[in-house]
Amino acid sequence: MQALGLYRPGSSILHRAPAGGKLIGLFVLALAASVLPASLVLLGSLSVIVVVLYLVAGLGFRELAGQVLMIRWLILLLTITGLLFLPLEDALANITRMVLVIVLAGLVTLTTRTSDLLNAFEVALSPLRLVRVNPERVSLVLALSIRTVPVIAGFAQQLRDAQRSRGGRLSIRAFVVPLLVLSLRHSDDLADALVARGAD
Amino acid sequence: MEREIVLTGVSVDYGNRLALDNVSTRLDAHRIAVIGANGSGKSTFARLLNGLETPTSGSMTVHGLDPLRQVKQLRRRVGFVFTNPDAQIVMPTVAEDVAFSLRGRGLSKSEIADRVASVLAENGLGDHADAPAHSLSGGQKQLLAICSVLVSDPELLVADEPTTMLDAANTRRIADLFAALPQQIVLVTHNLRLAERCDVALLFDGGRLVEQGNPVDVIGRYEREFA
Ligand SMILES: Nc1ncnc2c1ncn2[C@@H]1O[C@H](COP(=O)(O)OP(=O)(O)O)[C@@H](O)[C@H]1O
Ligand SMILES: [Mg+2]
Repeated sequence: MQALGLYRPGSSILHRAPAGGKLIGLFVLALAASVLPASLVLLGSLSVIVVVLYLVAGLGFRELAGQVLMIRWLILLLTITGLLFLPLEDALANITRMVLVIVLAGLVTLTTRTSDLLNAFEVALSPLRLVRVNPERVSLVLALSIRTVPVIAGFAQQLRDAQRSRGGRLSIRAFVVPLLVLSLRHSDDLADALVARGAD
Repeated sequence: MEREIVLTGVSVDYGNRLALDNVSTRLDAHRIAVIGANGSGKSTFARLLNGLETPTSGSMTVHGLDPLRQVKQLRRRVGFVFTNPDAQIVMPTVAEDVAFSLRGRGLSKSEIADRVASVLAENGLGDHADAPAHSLSGGQKQLLAICSVLVSDPELLVADEPTTMLDAANTRRIADLFAALPQQIVLVTHNLRLAERCDVALLFDGGRLVEQGNPVDVIGRYEREFA
């Protein structure tokens, strides 16, 4: 299960760059990709930048392709809706923009330890203290979400296996209800663990 | 260092049933096994020890601390290992999860990194420091959960059926790890062989503490009367 592009250890300049800097870079490039008027030159040069960054990070084309493959359903969906409602060029431009942003975000998570990322988030969110929101809590929630995705995916796998092993057809209701039950019980257990580990 | 757990007439009431019924005991043994049928109150007893549950009536102290008034200090000194490590691992990668236990203790970054690295190395997870937690095997996950508890150097380790989800080899491994720890341990278990390796055993039935003593005798009674 490779649900999220989690950290790949490495020693490239991108790995060593501070998480905050990478987030700012991501923000700038993502902004450029999403709001500047689309042109072959813009999207083309951004694509080149992305490829070069992946190579610099020592991740290579395989990892890049993996990131794109991971969002293939999203791409398909956007292609279909785009082609229905937009001229071909605009549809293609939109998809390219989105893929660029997601792949760039993937690059940051692949080259940054989650804890460093979360620390950077905490710094970025520190103005929230003014309105009495604790940034550490926000970043803890983010970390928990990342951690919980594979756990819930594991539940889904168990349920699918259980249904298959009983030879039944896959039934949505017999899937969603137990998945909810398992997930709720998990969140109860997780809450206990957080308390026991002194997170409150 | 005081190493005593004292309960005096402790009951825990969940509204319609007593999960613990007037339990009194005094425990200063090194390794304490807790056995009994499903629903007999073992988990409730374990959860009292770090303030996850509080007595409805009666009083108790754990290493001199009152769970009602000193719960923060108590949780720092009592480590808790749950049955399912997946619910206990809260950070995405191995080293981060261990480091999570050291938050807010005023340790420097390098000090945290050192302590994390050494506890992982001692327990055979040194090569997995940057691995995503979900990529570990069940036994490795439970080891990680235990590392995350041990890194903060608790005085008392409470484990609620920590080997229930593990195979024989991993159960052995965790049992050996526990046997080598200097801390006081309360081990809730259905594995009577693990219980046998403890210094004292408690037998619960229907929320009551029905026997406390030499593990071999207590297990004998459990097998005669309840199995
Ligand atoms: N949160 C709860 N609410 C209501 N009843 C509970 C709760 N937790 C445990 N119980 C009940 O308390 C009794 C003791 O439970 P527990 O301590 O979990 O037993 P054990 O760990 O020995 O299986 C059981 O009858 C159980 O159903
Ligand atoms: Mg239990």
